[in-house]
Amino acid sequence: MLWDALTLQLGYNATLVTLGAMMLGVGAGATGTYLYLGKRALVSDAISHATLPGVVLGFMLMVALGGEGRFLPGLMLGAALSAGLGLLAVTWLTTRTRLHEDAAIGAVLSVFFGFGVVLLTVVQVMDAGRQAGLETFLLGATAGMLRDEALTIALGGAAVLALVRLLHRPMILVAFDPEYAVGQGMRLARVDLAMMGLALAITVTGLKVVGLVLIVALLIIPPVAARFWSERAGHVVMIAGAIGGVAGYLGAAISATAPDLPTGPLIVLAAFALFVLSLLMAPGRGVLAAAVRHLRFQRRVHLRQGLLALAAGQPVYEPLTLRLMRHAGLARADGVATEAGRAMAARARLDERRWQILRSDPAFEAAAARYDGLTPLEEVLTDDQIAALDRGLGPEGTV
Amino acid sequence: MPLELVGSRPAPDTDSPLSIRGLTVSYGEKPAVFSVDVSFRPGQMTAIVGPNGAGKSTLLKAALGIIRPLSGQVTSLGRPLNERRARIAYVPQRASVDWDFPARVLDVVMMGLSRELGLLGRIRASHRARAVASLERVGMAGFAHRQIGQLSGGQQQRVFLARALAQEADLYLLDEPFAGVDAATEKAIIAVLHELRAEGKTVIAVHHDLATVADYFDRVFLINTTAIAEGPVAEVFTPDHLQTAYGGRLALAQMGGAAAG
Amino acid sequence: MRIILIFILMLHRIATSSPLTRRRALGLALGAVALTSRPSLAQTAPLEVVATTGMIADAARVVGGDHVQVRALMGPGIDPHSYRQTRSDIAALARADLVLWHGLYLEAQMEEFLLKLAARSPVVAVGEAVPESARIAHEDYEGRYDPHVWMVPELWGAVVDRITEALSAARPESAQLFVANAARYKDDLARLNIYAKDVLASVPEPARVLVTAHDAFGYFGRAYGYRVEGIQGLSTESEAGLARIRDLVDLLVSRQIKAVFVESTVSDRNIRALIEGAAAQGHEVIVGGELFSDAMGTPGTYEGSYLGMIDHNVTTIAAALGGTAPSRGMDGNLSAGG
Repeated sequence: MLWDALTLQLGYNATLVTLGAMMLGVGAGATGTYLYLGKRALVSDAISHATLPGVVLGFMLMVALGGEGRFLPGLMLGAALSAGLGLLAVTWLTTRTRLHEDAAIGAVLSVFFGFGVVLLTVVQVMDAGRQAGLETFLLGATAGMLRDEALTIALGGAAVLALVRLLHRPMILVAFDPEYAVGQGMRLARVDLAMMGLALAITVTGLKVVGLVLIVALLIIPPVAARFWSERAGHVVMIAGAIGGVAGYLGAAISATAPDLPTGPLIVLAAFALFVLSLLMAPGRGVLAAAVRHLRFQRRVHLRQGLLALAAGQPVYEPLTLRLMRHAGLARADGVATEAGRAMAARARLDERRWQILRSDPAFEAAAARYDGLTPLEEVLTDDQIAALDRGLGPEGTV
Repeated sequence: MPLELVGSRPAPDTDSPLSIRGLTVSYGEKPAVFSVDVSFRPGQMTAIVGPNGAGKSTLLKAALGIIRPLSGQVTSLGRPLNERRARIAYVPQRASVDWDFPARVLDVVMMGLSRELGLLGRIRASHRARAVASLERVGMAGFAHRQIGQLSGGQQQRVFLARALAQEADLYLLDEPFAGVDAATEKAIIAVLHELRAEGKTVIAVHHDLATVADYFDRVFLINTTAIAEGPVAEVFTPDHLQTAYGGRLALAQMGGAAAG
Repeated sequence: MRIILIFILMLHRIATSSPLTRRRALGLALGAVALTSRPSLAQTAPLEVVATTGMIADAARVVGGDHVQVRALMGPGIDPHSYRQTRSDIAALARADLVLWHGLYLEAQMEEFLLKLAARSPVVAVGEAVPESARIAHEDYEGRYDPHVWMVPELWGAVVDRITEALSAARPESAQLFVANAARYKDDLARLNIYAKDVLASVPEPARVLVTAHDAFGYFGRAYGYRVEGIQGLSTESEAGLARIRDLVDLLVSRQIKAVFVESTVSDRNIRALIEGAAAQGHEVIVGGELFSDAMGTPGTYEGSYLGMIDHNVTTIAAALGGTAPSRGMDGNLSAGG
């Protein structure tokens, strides 16, 4: 069943939802990266919650004008307008008052959303049929996705990606160093507007798929997860898009396998699972890789310290050091050095002494900066340089 | 309109790479920079100095448009600054950036070329070569692929300078380039700046260390919210000027040393 | 309007006259007000009844006649599963002489409030008149039932009886009238039931599958021998799952079902998705019509009454699924094209 779902063999409706969710995920992941890197991720939360009054007012307006209240493009337009207002409100609050951005976001978020909820209770007594369904904008309702809706999502996602491609350079520059960007003549307000506009477009597009409450997750989790995999901003954007797409695809596919599984939350859970995977498994920044690196480093330090102690004729006290040295065949259980251990200890002491000479010599200032207690001198100087150094060593000399 | 202060307003200076007239910047009601007039000389290295909170960084940022001034005009070679941005390079304070950003050293230097490249311009080998050349100039060529978060403070400062160098500008504005860097980096940076001056470029830097002004710079602009004096170091560092700027806080010895050098 | 005018005149007289005349004028004014506020015929004011659903209000009006003033909280097109009471609703409910609600967890969002109100005022859950043995149990929850009992006139008769009881308890002097009205109404219900049975039986056996937006037709299916499938569950608050849509598409294709039905209180989006899904498999399904599932039609029309609601549903279903039904319904009262 799961395999069928993953290979899109579960029927027309499931395929539609899966592909639509995937497109949304790609767009959201890519767009969210710029917000995340610019440390403005939570503004997307304000945007999404601010869509609610617009959706409801759009519905009420369309009904008042005698139309079919649930005309989706009209509702999306309403959502975009009120979210835009919310954005302006956040900007105004942060620039004109002394409010910090998260306080402004919290204020706008709650006021707009509360207003939307109040409007919902007004709508429920309106004499227009079939208004039950506006609440699906909160958590999404993918089961009933229609071909037109899927097309809208795909087009919206594609448009967003095209704009991302176009505006990548300025958005990255502004996210990294806005002051320098202004110095270069970049119009900060415009770039910010573009970034937020893209987030708004994704939010409005994703309202029906994951709902306004959860869309922020799709904007934030993929870039956070992608950050573990790359140190280059452009790659982070692409990986975030991929993660978002996979999350959308997986979440939708799984929700089609068993009855009563809600698609929106499953997509978010899929994104979270990918985040945990990244956190643990990414080479470089992942937890496991860091743990392995740390253990290796610890081992090197202990061995070095142990060898230096042996060379100086001191006993090895620390149990961990002793254990590591025994493991490496450098010492016996009672702490006495083995043949190999004595040799290595002598080499370590020589290395250390060479370093001390180097550091006291102003001629080697640049190389001296590389001293960290572990790096052998052979990695820093050439053989004849080391030979020159040794000539100043004295009778204990070379090995 | 700010009051006309003592001294006449200088005429639009078509020689000056950075000319500021009547600049006032305030945070709320408190002025950080008040009605400052100054014209920096071309081809020279000028330090902007003053006590803490004197508005030195604010002046620079307001001139560049990073902070909105209450009033004032900023020109470069007689034209509004905005028209000359291609010839102006800015090196901000290191602390203004999150160094955990996913970027390699080379990527940051390439950002200096973003104005040239525009939105869709392709990055050619020549662009990369320029970036690498800038890195070599600051002694960071070997670090091109290092993640910027792994750099030391001095190394970060060098990368910022390399980014500015990649622009091949005529005017270089630096905000506290020597703050918190190691001795080797300080030497390297000042060497590059002197090279720029030798090439006829203009260097203006906010500088925090009075003791080294005379060694590093030709001219100095002394400011404490208002402009106090601008000119060759020896002319500006008089006891009167220093008293106006620093009040009684400056140790007599420092005053004497600075006035003498 | 007259009352206000008289009041103003009286006040004017009182304000401009001497103390003795003033007292007399005041007495006259009060008397006038008391007289003009009474209904012209009856001796006492009508019973203020507040009902939640339109169907209950309709029955209460028929049974109570002139002796009751009924207000319905939920009009046409309003979904009782998700309805939350507004402040004016609360005021009306608190002021009412009698509150009639459905119960059986139909008004899910109002349940807590109504139960609290029941401690202080006469509040009757009329849906519970249907005996437990006759109720359809909820699939997942113990002690919960399918609330859509109005869909079968026979069951609704029990509810009408409970309404009659409640009205009589609140206004014993009119009990006789209420019982008489109720008896006449139940005759109508019986006729409707026979009509429904006949018309629905005319649909050939294999076509007796009713697919709607939510599970509102459980009792209907049981009473008239139809298989009923709703996209959403018993309550519209539940989200439809993708797997459910797929299962229903398979059902539509395998049983070659020609028509599915939208509901006046629920979004038609899920139904349209079903139709698209079936079309993708090469099977054409049309919307057989709009059914009144949780609310009646426009007030003032025939479909805006309980009889009209059921008449419309039964006629529409039978006609769309291949049976024979008079196009204007049981007595020719259905609006054309309905």
